[in-house]
This record gives sequence, C-alpha cells and structure tokens, in this order.
Amino acid sequence: MSAPLLTLDGVSRIYRRGLFDRTPAFQLHVDKTFSRPEIVGVLGPNGAGKTTLFEMIAGSNAPSKGRVMVAGQDIQRVRYLQRDRLAIHYHQSYQVRHFTKTKPAFVMEQAARSYPLVHLFDEPQFNTQDGYIGFMLDFFRKLRAEGRLVFVCLHPTAAYQLRILQEICERFLFVKGGSVTEHADFAGLAGQADVRQYLGALAP
Amino acid sequence: MALFEARDLHLRFVDRVVLENVSLAFEAGQLSGIMGPNGAGKTTCFNVLTGRYKPDRGQVLWDGQDITGRSPQAIARLGIARSFQLMNLFDEFTVFENIAIALPQTRARARNIMAQAYADPALVDEAHAILRRVGLESRADDPAKSLPYGARRALEIGVALACRPKLLFLDEPTAGLGSDGRARLADLILKLKGSITIVIIEHDMEFLFSLADQISVIHWGQVIAKGTPAALKANPWVEASNLGRLN
Repeated sequence: MSAPLLTLDGVSRIYRRGLFDRTPAFQLHVDKTFSRPEIVGVLGPNGAGKTTLFEMIAGSNAPSKGRVMVAGQDIQRVRYLQRDRLAIHYHQSYQVRHFTKTKPAFVMEQAARSYPLVHLFDEPQFNTQDGYIGFMLDFFRKLRAEGRLVFVCLHPTAAYQLRILQEICERFLFVKGGSVTEHADFAGLAGQADVRQYLGALAP
Repeated sequence: MALFEARDLHLRFVDRVVLENVSLAFEAGQLSGIMGPNGAGKTTCFNVLTGRYKPDRGQVLWDGQDITGRSPQAIARLGIARSFQLMNLFDEFTVFENIAIALPQTRARARNIMAQAYADPALVDEAHAILRRVGLESRADDPAKSLPYGARRALEIGVALACRPKLLFLDEPTAGLGSDGRARLADLILKLKGSITIVIIEHDMEFLFSLADQISVIHWGQVIAKGTPAALKANPWVEASNLGRLN
C-alpha cells in the first residue's frame, strides 16, 4: 500500500578532481530501502561520506545518480524549504554546508507532511558530564515509536559511545571506501574485520 | 487550566528549523524549569513566549487567552516579567532607585520621577519591601555598579518583581555565578516560590532539580523529555553522570 519510509534508489555521489581531470576524488554508492520505523546507527571513518549520505537523504546535496525517495516523494523535486518536512538533518555543530539552490519554488512539489518523517542526527554531542544523554536516547525511541525513521551517525572515540549505539540501534550501516554495508545487529557489525580495524582499541 | 501555555510552536530562521512542535504548560503558583544543552533553543523559545519573536505556527495562551504575536510590551503589561541572560541595570543609580524606577506608580509619572519617588511614602515602602524579598535592603543606598555579580542578579530579579508580575521568567539566572552565588540565588528563588509563578531557563541540571516542580528538557528545538525532577533524575544516564561512573 503506502510507499517505504525511505528508498535510496541506486544513489551515487561522485566528486571529481577538477573540470579537466575527471578522476573521482570522492565517491559514495548506496542502494537501500527502509520500510519500517527504526533507529539506525551509522559509523565510518572521517571523510568516508557519513555526512554526504545524510545530506543526500535530507535533500541539501543532490545525488550524481539515482533518487532519494522519502515516503514516495523524490526529495530533489520537493521545494527547498519544505524538504525538512520529510527528512531533517540535525547538523554537527559548525558543519553546515550550503549548496546552490537553482529552481524557483513554484515549479516544485509541496512536501506531503508537516512534521519530519526521517530524522538524521549527525554526530550528536553525547557529553557524559551533563546527563542529557538519557533524554536524547529516550527521544530517539519516542520518534521511532511514533513511526519515524531515525539515523544516528557517530565516529566513536570512547567506549561509552559504542555502548550507546549498542543500546539504541536496531540496524547498522558502515560507510567506508565509497560503499555502505549493512549489519542486522551490533554483534554482526562488531564481528566484521574491517569494522574491528576501524574501531581499533574500542572493538569489543 | 495552566496559567501560561504554548501549543505546537514552530519557528524557522530562513532555512533552519529552530523550534519544532514545542508545547509547554506552566501551572499557577508552580516553579517550572526549561533545561537543555547550549544551543538547544531555550532562549529562542523564551523569546517566543515573551513576544520578541512571532512563531510561524502555534499558539501562546495566557490564562486561556490567545496572546500569540503580541508585542513584548503588551505581554509585559499582562503581568509577565522577564530577566535576561545579560543583565540590564541602571549602573549610576542606587539599588533603591533601580527598584523604584520599575514600580508602576513611577512609570506612570511623566517627569522628575526620582524626586517624586522619594517623596511618596507608599512607593518607598514598596521598594523596600521588594529589596527585603531579594535580600538587598542593607545595600539600598549603594550605587548599582558597586554590587558584586551575585547581588546584581538579585537586584535584577527585584527589578522584575517591581513590575508586580503574576509570572516571572528567569533566563539562565546562574550564568556567571560560582557555587556560593548559586546557593544564595537558590535560597532567594526558594523564598519567592509559591508567592508567584516562576519559569526558569537553565542548563545547570542540579540547580533546577533542587528548585523546580516540573521540568521540560529542550534539545534540537524540541521538547525531548518532561517530568518532575524525581522522574527525570531516575534516568539511568542522569544517575551515571552524577556519580561519574562513565569513562
């Protein structure tokens, strides 16, 4: 009946070295569907493309190929100021990238919703001193219980951050070397050789 | 019915959502807290409640009456006073004069207001009563600029009380205070509690936990948790942070 919450339909983002040197400097390929509300953990080294992935889902960064569909709407065809009614990117502090907006609003679609369906938390500040972590985790759970899809992206630097992901996430994405691999649970994620190498001393 | 209520507030600054579906209710006579990390949207939320910003959607209700979009002056006239994170006092005036000038009788006069203020016994009594409430009676004749930081905070609360508010909003009252100053401020607020409806914005959890009847936690421009201090404290991560069990 209804369209999946989120479909990344053959999505690629490629940055080339320059106008004449067309060798890719960065690339990311992803093809996945998220049909049910859940909390998804996103891990990967710096520069692997975690934020680029979030930007494409939120519609601020257009894919080089493929389509991002949120609840059946192609996010690139929705009016710029209404895209966060479908998918909202909670930026990492000081890391908001602005992209050119070229189309006038009247040629584009309206968002079919008034409250975001996909919530993308980009490296939320989990500070163990102030005690807000618990409320943040409860909020992620509340969003999921309300039928939303929640992504939490983290580049863990301490063991407790892994514990947080293990506690709340039902599925994991590992972004590295231009591709996104999926793991059904934390044990599956932590069992992978490349993930263990990435986690280093933090690997459980 | 709550004395002051916000329903589904939504506010956007150009392409950024700063408040998303914020609903809050402050009961008469209670002390309510709004807490959240830096940059969570607490002050923005306050600015909508007190009329500095107009929300894109949603309602602000005072005693059941819709006051959304009214000017800060109009909202203040309803009996809603606020303090600011950065203090505004008349430095060259005495402590007494700072209070006297904020009293409604003074503000109703057109000119030579200070001379008339000293000549009006009812006004002098009221100003002294307020100074007693905020613990500054002994400093009444000192210039405001001579006060230490914590006492300036108390004076600012006194100035807000001089407007005879029904509801007092305090924005980060502990900002810039050390632990002694915080303790004194907590004593002062505890004394006021019950006699007036108070709403405090604060990022210091301990401070609010010790004072508030109800707390709303704001982050990412949304209410992420609500409850009594006891209920919020029971969160395992809050307990762990206080005991320093992590790391």
